[in-house]
Amino acid sequence: MEQRAIRRFNLRIREVGRVFCSRPTSVTALGVLALACAGSVPERGAPHERVVSLAPSITELLFSVGAGSAVVGRTRWASDPPEALAVPSVGDGLNPNVEAVAARRPDLVILYDSPANAGPAAQLRQLGIETAVFRMDRLDDVARGARLFGALIGVSDVAEEVAARFSAALDSARRVPRPTDRPRVLILAWDQPPIVIGAGSFQSELLDLAGAENVFADLAGPSGQVTIEIIAERNPDFVLLTGGVSDPSWGSRPEWQAVPAVRQRRFVIVDGSEFSYPSLRALTAVRRLRQALAEARE
Amino acid sequence: MIRWSALGIAAFAALAIGVLVGPAHLPPGTVWHAVLGRGDDVTVAIVRDLRIPRAVLAFSVGGSLAVTGAVLQALVRNPLADPYLLGLSGGAGLGAVGAIALGLSGTWALPAAAAFGALGAIILVYRLAIVAGAVLDTRILLLGGVVVSAFTSAIVGAIMALSPAEQLRNALLWLLGGFDGASWLTLTVFAAYAVFPLALLYRASRQLDLLSLGEEPAAYLGADVEPLKRLLYVMASVLTAAAVAVSGIIGFVGLVVPHAIRMLWGHTHRALLPAAFLLGGSLLAGADALARTVFAPLTLPVGVVTAVIGVPVFAVLVRRWAS
Repeated sequence: MEQRAIRRFNLRIREVGRVFCSRPTSVTALGVLALACAGSVPERGAPHERVVSLAPSITELLFSVGAGSAVVGRTRWASDPPEALAVPSVGDGLNPNVEAVAARRPDLVILYDSPANAGPAAQLRQLGIETAVFRMDRLDDVARGARLFGALIGVSDVAEEVAARFSAALDSARRVPRPTDRPRVLILAWDQPPIVIGAGSFQSELLDLAGAENVFADLAGPSGQVTIEIIAERNPDFVLLTGGVSDPSWGSRPEWQAVPAVRQRRFVIVDGSEFSYPSLRALTAVRRLRQALAEARE
Repeated sequence: MIRWSALGIAAFAALAIGVLVGPAHLPPGTVWHAVLGRGDDVTVAIVRDLRIPRAVLAFSVGGSLAVTGAVLQALVRNPLADPYLLGLSGGAGLGAVGAIALGLSGTWALPAAAAFGALGAIILVYRLAIVAGAVLDTRILLLGGVVVSAFTSAIVGAIMALSPAEQLRNALLWLLGGFDGASWLTLTVFAAYAVFPLALLYRASRQLDLLSLGEEPAAYLGADVEPLKRLLYVMASVLTAAAVAVSGIIGFVGLVVPHAIRMLWGHTHRALLPAAFLLGGSLLAGADALARTVFAPLTLPVGVVTAVIGVPVFAVLVRRWAS
């Protein structure tokens, strides 16, 4: 799969080289272009050197596989690792500002795989900039992404090692038998309208690995809008809060008192970007979550 | 008499369905016991604190929006008038999105900011429409509403472009409208704001009949036109702002229900207003019950359901009325 994707990029690179290098406008330009083309049309499999990453999860993973020095642009939301903050921001990652991205003179832009990014990706390709799209929604995507990015930037050895280590750790965490008295947990993403996290999100995987059960594991998607009534019926032991709702003042509203866990303030609050997107820190997140749940149960 | 009975039955059925039906699987017997306070805590809470106030709130908001639509259609003598026409929805949206962007949190921040924004827009449109110091020009009222809406949505667009995406997306979800915030408290707050305007509008129904003939004929026939227009405008605005505060922006009901009633009932406001209240209430309470049940555990925005049910019914009515 990754190999095929890489071959596609390389084909595109050669195409771009042909288009770009076949239209010299003057003799001087021809000379400049000849030089430029010699440098900028990489051979099959040649690594990219200037990468703009348009998702915080992608930025972090690039740094994790040792490709941080190739990153020349990030979104304004990137926060990890701290070194990433030294990289210039190009603004938003969804529907990005194409001009700001191009101004970083990247030879590769990696975008989050979303319909909002299809147009900007096409525009970047028209400018002769390679693009790759990647969707990082699940924990298994982390190792997949590490290998892909390693191949694109030419750090496959490190990336392979990182990916293999992560996959092995994840596998052994998955093999640990689940406790029998698992706490039943609601992961609330937003309070009004109530939006909950379903089985399709990595947050549900984190919860499962931490030895708890997502009360909305029957929702196949990453999230869904539900009613307070169904939350009350499923009667979770705890409400896990991260990000937007981590200030639990909404819990004092009268309609939420029908949910015993909210009425009795059985909130488990965790912060940090390891709970915002899948990353190599997922197993640290699992440990933190397990500890927070244990403290809440005492 | 038959028509009133039919409306009464529809209203009762919509409220009953609202209480009996929901994503939690409760047999009717269990629901009835829970209404009386018997059963386990969670079931009693689901029925008494979630379903009953939600059904009643949906009914009251639907009824109020339909009455407001009927009144505004008579006031501006334009069949396209609806409760949000006069800049209200834009103002409410700006209030809600502004609150999120400014990081205002707290239990009531969002609804309060939306109601505040709606009232701001109303005052602005009202000021625009008062010409020559005294006369409320309903044509400018209409234009002012459109202009203020365009302006507020431009500002909302600017805030959205510059602020964290996820939180704003959720604020917009709230604005799409629904009764997730329903409780006895929100119902009480809504009733406190709605009862007085509804009573005043009903009292003005004879004068509304005159006004719908045109301002000049109304004046000849003895209506005190200027004070009447202001009263109608202010009361309709208070009703809509209260609806926005408890349920976001729910379209369609206020536009279509008054027309449906006019086709079935005629144009006399003394009958039109209560009938519109009952039909609007039934439609919204029934639609809300469907919205939270059909794809359970997921829910649909209630505005989607009102449109899906209402548009075909309305189309049939229009065809029959035209022939």
